[in-house]
Amino acid sequence: MFTDESLETVGTESSWRRSLQSVQESRSCQTRPLHTAEAIVQAGHYSDSGTQTDAQDSSGEYHEASGDHPGLKEFLDGVEEMIIKELIKNSRSHAFDGFEVNWVDHNETVSCIHRLQHPDAQSRGLQVTSLSWSCTGSVIACAFGRVDDGDWSTERCCVCTWNLDRRGLDPKRPDLVIDVPSAVMCLAFHPQRPSLIAGGLYSGEVVVWDTSRTQDSILAQTGMSADTHREPVYQVQWVPGSRRGEMDMLSAGSGGRVLQWRVDGVEGRLVLASGFALVRQQVPMINTISKARGGSSIGITALALSPWDPDSFLVGSEGGLVLKCAFSSQTVAAAPPDGESVTLRAPAQFCFSPSSGPVHSVHCSPFHRNLFVSGGTDGLAHLHSLLQPEPLLSLRVCDSSYVFVVRWSPTRPLVFAAATGQGLVQIFDLGRRSLRAATTIDQEAGGKPVYCLEFNPRQPHLLAAGNADGTINIWQLSADLTEQGPRESAQLEQLANEVAD
Amino acid sequence: MAEVEETLKRIQTHKGVIGTIVVNAEGIPIRTTLDNSTTVQYAGLLHQLTIKARSTVRDIDPQNDLTFLRIRSKKHEIMVAPDKEYLLIVIQNPSE
Repeated sequence: MFTDESLETVGTESSWRRSLQSVQESRSCQTRPLHTAEAIVQAGHYSDSGTQTDAQDSSGEYHEASGDHPGLKEFLDGVEEMIIKELIKNSRSHAFDGFEVNWVDHNETVSCIHRLQHPDAQSRGLQVTSLSWSCTGSVIACAFGRVDDGDWSTERCCVCTWNLDRRGLDPKRPDLVIDVPSAVMCLAFHPQRPSLIAGGLYSGEVVVWDTSRTQDSILAQTGMSADTHREPVYQVQWVPGSRRGEMDMLSAGSGGRVLQWRVDGVEGRLVLASGFALVRQQVPMINTISKARGGSSIGITALALSPWDPDSFLVGSEGGLVLKCAFSSQTVAAAPPDGESVTLRAPAQFCFSPSSGPVHSVHCSPFHRNLFVSGGTDGLAHLHSLLQPEPLLSLRVCDSSYVFVVRWSPTRPLVFAAATGQGLVQIFDLGRRSLRAATTIDQEAGGKPVYCLEFNPRQPHLLAAGNADGTINIWQLSADLTEQGPRESAQLEQLANEVAD
Repeated sequence: MAEVEETLKRIQTHKGVIGTIVVNAEGIPIRTTLDNSTTVQYAGLLHQLTIKARSTVRDIDPQNDLTFLRIRSKKHEIMVAPDKEYLLIVIQNPSE
C-alpha cells in the first residue's frame, strides 16, 4: 500500500542575486615566504611522583599568622609571667595612695583678673545679655541689650569684643564695638573660624558678623522676610551643616520656632535650610504631666546641643518644659504655615518633668552622654538623665531668686556652675557629700542679676560672667575646681546609673 | 596560633586591665584589644620611649639592659615589656 516515491525537485532562480554578483570583486594577498625550522628534543631522565592533601582542620589560618611573626609565641611565653605578676601586685598595692604630683603651681583661690566695661553702654543702662568665647580662647564677645524691658524698643545696642591676650588690654575700652539696631539677646562664636560671631536680636532677626572686616561687619543676616522669627531670638548655636566642613546656624525664639540657617556669605543672606515648630499638642505625654493651659505654641528660652549624639538637642521653654528633640524627626508640625519656604517639622520626642517657671538654661554634660543640667526660675538646678523624666538630683542654688545660667565645667566631670539673680555665681561639686555650693563667687555688681556665664574652652581655669549693670568679670578659678581627680569619671557614671527602674 | 591568643586573653582579663597591645620591632602594632586610633597612638609613642629608656640604661652602664618599663599616671599605669623583636604594652587602671 505504501511505496517510496521520488519527486522531482522544483526550483526557482533568484532574480536579484546575479545582479549583486556582477558587482563583486575578488582580491587576494599573500605574505612573504615564512622561514621555518625544525628541531627535536628528548628528555634523558624520567621520574614519577604524586601528591595528595589531607583533610584540613580550621586552625589552618593561624599558621599563616605565625608565619608573619616568627618568635611571637616564644616572646609572649617568656614575658607573660612577669607581666601577670606585676598586674597582680599593682592591683593590690597601696604605694601610690594619696600621692599627688605638682606639675604647675596651683592656684588656691579664685580671683578676678579683669573687670570689663563699656562706659557708653553702661551710661545708657544696658545690661550684658550674652557672652561668648572665641574658639581660640583669647577673645570674648559681649552683647548688650535689655532683658527686663518687656516692650519693643528701637534703642541702639552693641556687641563688644575684648582680646584678653593682648598686652595693651584696657578693660574700659573694647577692641571692637559693633552697633546693632536692636537689642542682642544671644551670641555665639563660630567653633572653627575665630572671626565669625552669630547673634540673635530682640526683633527676631539673626545676624552673622565678621570681625575681620573693617568696613561693614555684617556678613549675613536674615532680614525681615517671611522666614524669620517673629518673636525675640533667645538662643543661637552653630551646628554641623548639610555640606561637609560647613556649619549652619540654629536659632530658637519665643515664637516656638527652631530654625536652621545656611550662611550665604556671597549674597549676605542667611538662607533657611530647615525648621521646627514646637506646638503644645505635639509634645508627647504633656497632658498627663502638666495641667497648665496656655497658648498653643511653646516659647523657647533655652537650647542645648548634645556633644555625644549629633541628632538630638534639648529645648527649655517658657512654660517650664524641658524637651528632648531630634533633628531627623519627619512629623509635620501642626502650626499654621506662615509663608515660610520650608515645611516646619515637630521635633519633640520626650518630655521631662516640668518646673514651675521658665527654664532659662539647659546644658549637656561633656563627660557623660546621658546627663544634663537645667536651671530656671524655681531657684533649683536639676540634674537630669536622658533616660527618665524625673530629675536625678535637685540642688538649691539660691533661696529667693532665679537661676539664669547653668554650665558644666569643661575639665572636671562633677563640677558645674550656676548664675543667680542675686549677683552670685555658685559652683557645685557633685563629688562632695554636701549639697551646698563648693564655691560662691560674688560678682560685686550691687546685687544685680548675673545673666550669662561661660567657661573658656581653651583655658579652662577662666570663667566669664556678665551682670545686669553692664560689667563683665573674668574669674580665674582655683586648681581644685579645674584639675580632674582620678576617680571622677567613675563617680559620674555611678551617679548617672541611679536611674530609677 | 591559638596559644598566642590564649596568652593575650589571660593578660587582658586580669583585674583593671584596659588594653593590651603587641608591637613589632618597627613600631607597628600586630595585636591589640583597643580601637585603631588609640592603638596607633600608644604604639608609636611608647615604642620611641622604650628606645630612649633602653639607651639611657645602657649609656649609664653598658653591661646593663632594660627589662621592664612602667609609667604611672594620674589615671592609669602603662607597663611595657621589651624584647629584641617585640614589645608588649599593657594599660591597667590600678585603683579599680
